Amino acid sequence: MRKRTLNRGLAGFWWLTLAFLYLPLAIVVLFSFNSTNSAANFTSFSLRWYHRLLGNEQIISAFYNSLILAIVSSLVALVIGCLIGYGMYRHRHRRLGWLIVLIYLPIVLPDIVFGISEMAFFVQFNRLTGLLEPGLGTMIIAHVTFQIPFVALIVYSRFVGLDPSLFEAAKDLYASPFQRALHFLLPTLKPALISAFFLSFTLSIDDFVISFFTAGPESATLPIYIWGAIKKGVSPEINAIATLMIGAVALAAILSLLFNRQGRR
Amino acid sequence: MANTPLVTRRHAVVSETRHLLFSVMPGAVWIFVFLVLPSLYLMAVAFMSNGPYGLPELPLSLDAFKQLAGFGFLGWSPGNFYTLLRSLWQTLVSTALVIVVAYPIAYYITTCRAKLRPLMLLAVVVPSWTNQVIRAFGWMNLLAPGTPLSDAAQALGLIGQHMGLYPSNFAVTLGLVYNFLPFMVLPLYAAFEKLDTAQVQAAQDLYASPMRAFWHAVFPQTLPGLLAGTVLVAIPAFGMYVIPELLGGGKGMMLGNLVANQFAGGSNWPLGAAGALLMLLATFVGLFAMRRIGKRLGGGEEVVI
Amino acid sequence: MSDPMAGEAGSRAVTAESRPREASSIELEGVHKRFGRDTVALDGVDLTIQAGEFFTLLGPSGCGKTTLLRILAGLEEPNAGRLKIGGRDVTDTPPHRRSVNTVFQSYALFPHLSVRDNLAFGLRMRGERAAERDRKVAEVAEFIQLGSLVERHVDQLSGGQRQRIALARALICEPDVLLLDEPLSALDAGLRGQLQVELQRLQKRLGMTFVFVTHDQDEAMVMSDRIAVLDSGIIQQVGTPGEVYEHPANAFVARFMGHDNLFAISRSEADWVETELGRLQLDPAEQRDAQDGWLLIRPETLELGPEVPEGYNRLEGFVRERLYRGSRIEYRLEVNGQPLMAVASNLGQRMHGVGDSVTISVCPEDLVRVAS
Repeated sequence: MRKRTLNRGLAGFWWLTLAFLYLPLAIVVLFSFNSTNSAANFTSFSLRWYHRLLGNEQIISAFYNSLILAIVSSLVALVIGCLIGYGMYRHRHRRLGWLIVLIYLPIVLPDIVFGISEMAFFVQFNRLTGLLEPGLGTMIIAHVTFQIPFVALIVYSRFVGLDPSLFEAAKDLYASPFQRALHFLLPTLKPALISAFFLSFTLSIDDFVISFFTAGPESATLPIYIWGAIKKGVSPEINAIATLMIGAVALAAILSLLFNRQGRR
Repeated sequence: MANTPLVTRRHAVVSETRHLLFSVMPGAVWIFVFLVLPSLYLMAVAFMSNGPYGLPELPLSLDAFKQLAGFGFLGWSPGNFYTLLRSLWQTLVSTALVIVVAYPIAYYITTCRAKLRPLMLLAVVVPSWTNQVIRAFGWMNLLAPGTPLSDAAQALGLIGQHMGLYPSNFAVTLGLVYNFLPFMVLPLYAAFEKLDTAQVQAAQDLYASPMRAFWHAVFPQTLPGLLAGTVLVAIPAFGMYVIPELLGGGKGMMLGNLVANQFAGGSNWPLGAAGALLMLLATFVGLFAMRRIGKRLGGGEEVVI
Repeated sequence: MSDPMAGEAGSRAVTAESRPREASSIELEGVHKRFGRDTVALDGVDLTIQAGEFFTLLGPSGCGKTTLLRILAGLEEPNAGRLKIGGRDVTDTPPHRRSVNTVFQSYALFPHLSVRDNLAFGLRMRGERAAERDRKVAEVAEFIQLGSLVERHVDQLSGGQRQRIALARALICEPDVLLLDEPLSALDAGLRGQLQVELQRLQKRLGMTFVFVTHDQDEAMVMSDRIAVLDSGIIQQVGTPGEVYEHPANAFVARFMGHDNLFAISRSEADWVETELGRLQLDPAEQRDAQDGWLLIRPETLELGPEVPEGYNRLEGFVRERLYRGSRIEYRLEVNGQPLMAVASNLGQRMHGVGDSVTISVCPEDLVRVAS
């Protein structure tokens, strides 16, 4: 009897928590379709805020910045992180403690410390050399820095899951080092690489703090634009971009999950 | 015959080392140049003096730390000190609340059918995939004046007329709990999943009351997960920037905002760097403590991220 | 699936596939291999394997047999010593340039490729033309009677099928030497016995040099032309199965080949020895320089019965245990307080019961002195 009451209570609590988790997002999505600019009353369904978006050049440029940043940084991080993951696997019997510390550093460092370190560094570097002016370039560098560990760990765990004899079988069957990379390593890694790319992409699109501190005047991304718009005053347009971003990130994350599952099979 | 193989052997070691360098070095150098060096520079800035444009200058000094503690050239003022206290307080309260919510949720998920569990975990995690700014914005919409929640709070006399639930310290706490809930549910779920049910049944036989059985058999087994979750929540909460900035207003500032402001508007790099150093210190103390306690609890492995 | 490697299709495929080519010999000189600072895997191995021989490296785990095989494959570099295959020094040749192929213990089939692409992998890496590859794959697939499986994915195959694919993937490259690293250890006993016979027949038909690694002495004896027994990185004995079984070079080899009846020799003369069993006559021709050492009595050479033939050694004892094995009967005897094992073929004779006193006779020529 008591056990059933407990379970009922827990189930109720579960649905309450789910409501808590999804309510803020649902509100954003709902009011993006509101026909008036009231944030409190939903009047009627309309797509006017989405139409407004298309005409807003700042948003379009922020969208392109976000996209370029996410794609370029993910690709760079993919190459560098993949090499580290492979190196960690090949030399896993050596003492690589320093490397592990280095790889976990970007993960454990608080965002704000990460962001202002980069900013201070880039500003001073730019003052001394005139290079690395704050903008998309510095943002890409910063994003690659926090994406590398995730790519490296995904690639490494894929290798650890493989039969070590496979590497030797490739050598034994006359594959030169280049052929081994092309015909064995890359095809074997493909699912992990795709999954790592999507994760990097998601992390990049999701990031605000680090982007905010490394951005230049011309390189605002969507989250930075939204931030600025919120600080200026709530506008229903923000609901519309936010809704599109919620959809895009959810899609990318689900794709990443799917590929990861396929890779593990 | 004895000489050649030695040469081969040395050659092999050299080529292995070269391989290690080529594979690992690009990334290691990248992280070193673009993260370790900047962090070291930031630490150095904390010990410099504040120049006319907010940029750090020599000579070295501890002024930044004094300012962080509240000592300015007008004598002691409580602003910065309160910000530090508020950061600590918010971290403690939100972590405690996250535990209170996450513990039954994690337990409930383990009682459901095995097929449902991954989906339920996914449902908990998915909101955190959305941008922080957007999530905070969602709460702004929910808590603004004139919304049903604010109206209800007014009716209960919790807040004044024509006020909203945001901006306020309460909104910051809510935002923190919302933001970090999944970070606690996942490790706790892992701990519950591994729960040794034989022990629990033995305890139910030994102790008549379910409360005591829980306390002696269940709770200790979930401690490693609780510990991991606490670190995952408390460390980033202490350095949170976005949520207090958007939901807190002027009186809700935390350490992250203090630090950020010195680099953006306030322009006192050494003070900001000193705050960042404090945060860094808190991070490493937290991680270190977790490793130590984790090892003593025996379930140290899953505690590491 | 009855003995596919010996079938009609098999012999045709093999004759078409293997152009007449010389089998290759293998010579190892002073091969040393160390792991880390002080783990010695191979401690000065000198060994010659004849061309076209089925050669087995036998020993307990950690004896160095797998390391030796990996050195032949080029997957491990020796710290010292030379290796020649087919008369050519290949010590410094990387594995992908050696005409040597390996059947791995885990089979190591590429999970991202179909069976067909697995089979063709080596040919493709060597740059053979697609038409040629397809022809060879079709031939070898028919040869191992798995033609219907070539489009399958590797994870859809049974253990026995994987084993055949791994073997075929190595054979299709027509290597000078085929290396087999415990390829049967993952299979169940029935399939294992069948494949032992098939592998041996296959090797004889191809005339290729096979180097086989196993820790199972029965498997080694059934299949091999010659066996090298290894322990602690040192070759203890090289010989035909008969030599290694009947005249083990030392006590380790004797024990590893499954012998229980070893007795410390306390005094040794030209034609007799003194042991715990008593004084026993030996064949004077069986001259060993080992003065102290062990006396080996093979259980199947002991005869139980009241009559002792002329010139035979006579022992008195009693039966402690009797194990009925169907084709044979094992007696655990006790002689002079020492345990002694005897095996009699089950010819329907009267069995001795537990506790019975028995007279045991053994021919001096069957007694072997073994070094420590």
